[in-house]
Amino acid sequence: MANHSQFGFQDASSPIMEELVEFHDHALMTALAICCLVLYLLTLMLNEKLTSNTVDAQEIELVWTILPAAVLIMLALPSLQILYMMDEINEPHLTLKAIGHQWYWTYEYTDFKDLTFDSYMIQTTDLPLGHFRLLEVDHRVIVPMESPVRVIVTADDVLHSWAVPSLGVKTDAIPGRLNQTSFTASRPGIFYGQCSEICGANHSFMPIVVEAAPLANFESWSSLL
Amino acid sequence: QSFKLLGFLDVKNVPCARESILYGSLGSLVMGLGHFIATSRVRRSCDVAVGGFICTMLGYWFYCRYNLAQQRIRQRMLKEGMKNRILFEGSYLDPEKEQTGRERSDS
Repeated sequence: MANHSQFGFQDASSPIMEELVEFHDHALMTALAICCLVLYLLTLMLNEKLTSNTVDAQEIELVWTILPAAVLIMLALPSLQILYMMDEINEPHLTLKAIGHQWYWTYEYTDFKDLTFDSYMIQTTDLPLGHFRLLEVDHRVIVPMESPVRVIVTADDVLHSWAVPSLGVKTDAIPGRLNQTSFTASRPGIFYGQCSEICGANHSFMPIVVEAAPLANFESWSSLL
Repeated sequence: QSFKLLGFLDVKNVPCARESILYGSLGSLVMGLGHFIATSRVRRSCDVAVGGFICTMLGYWFYCRYNLAQQRIRQRMLKEGMKNRILFEGSYLDPEKEQTGRERSDS
């Protein structure tokens, strides 16, 4: 989960999120380079050192056409690579359905048996000591770690969005439509997310908690349902 | 605690960022001073210094990130290899067992 006043990404818990974080670092470094150039040019302009001899010349036209094109290519290539990586068909080991309601999630594990449960936020007054306010739920989504999991997201009433930042997942839940996403939890742990599409009064109070566990633990949990 | 250059680049926690900035500064200093010593032109030396900073920083960044990516691939292969070794140790799929068998048959 995010710490208080955290501005950056949460630690990556899936390979896709690791790639996204790396691309973000790359984009920021490019942005820094551009900012340095712009600041320098601004300084020159403020000191009246940048004259029309420079900006009206033919060479500068070439520079300020080729340079932005190069920057765009530098950003677009890794971006597209990650985009296609996210859409790879990877034979998921498990399919999970997440259905958004006002204001809770329903999860269905229907690969082998019909396992369905609702996931409501635990109210602050009922929260055990040491648990996270507005993030804990009564029933978590348990998934096996290091296994590709497919999530089919939809909604029952209004728009919602199923998001877990540390897994690099955010998928809109649209009534009447099935959206598919997938992730692989690289390590065991508990990953928190929140509904990411405004859906009414309690939009901020329908969190998502994904618990990645070793396969044996997942099997024993699913046999209890 | 993080230090954010220009308010957005977390130099401490982003791999290769600190080295890129430092090498970029060094490159900028060397190129700018060198150009000034060679030509005694202040304005053009400043331009060369800024250009040198950007080029050196970005050049080292790509070099460092490429090496980091290769290291991460090797780490993943090693992790997979160790997992497979533990999984298949002693079984007919154990590659070390095949190797030992081949050595015995050679001798």
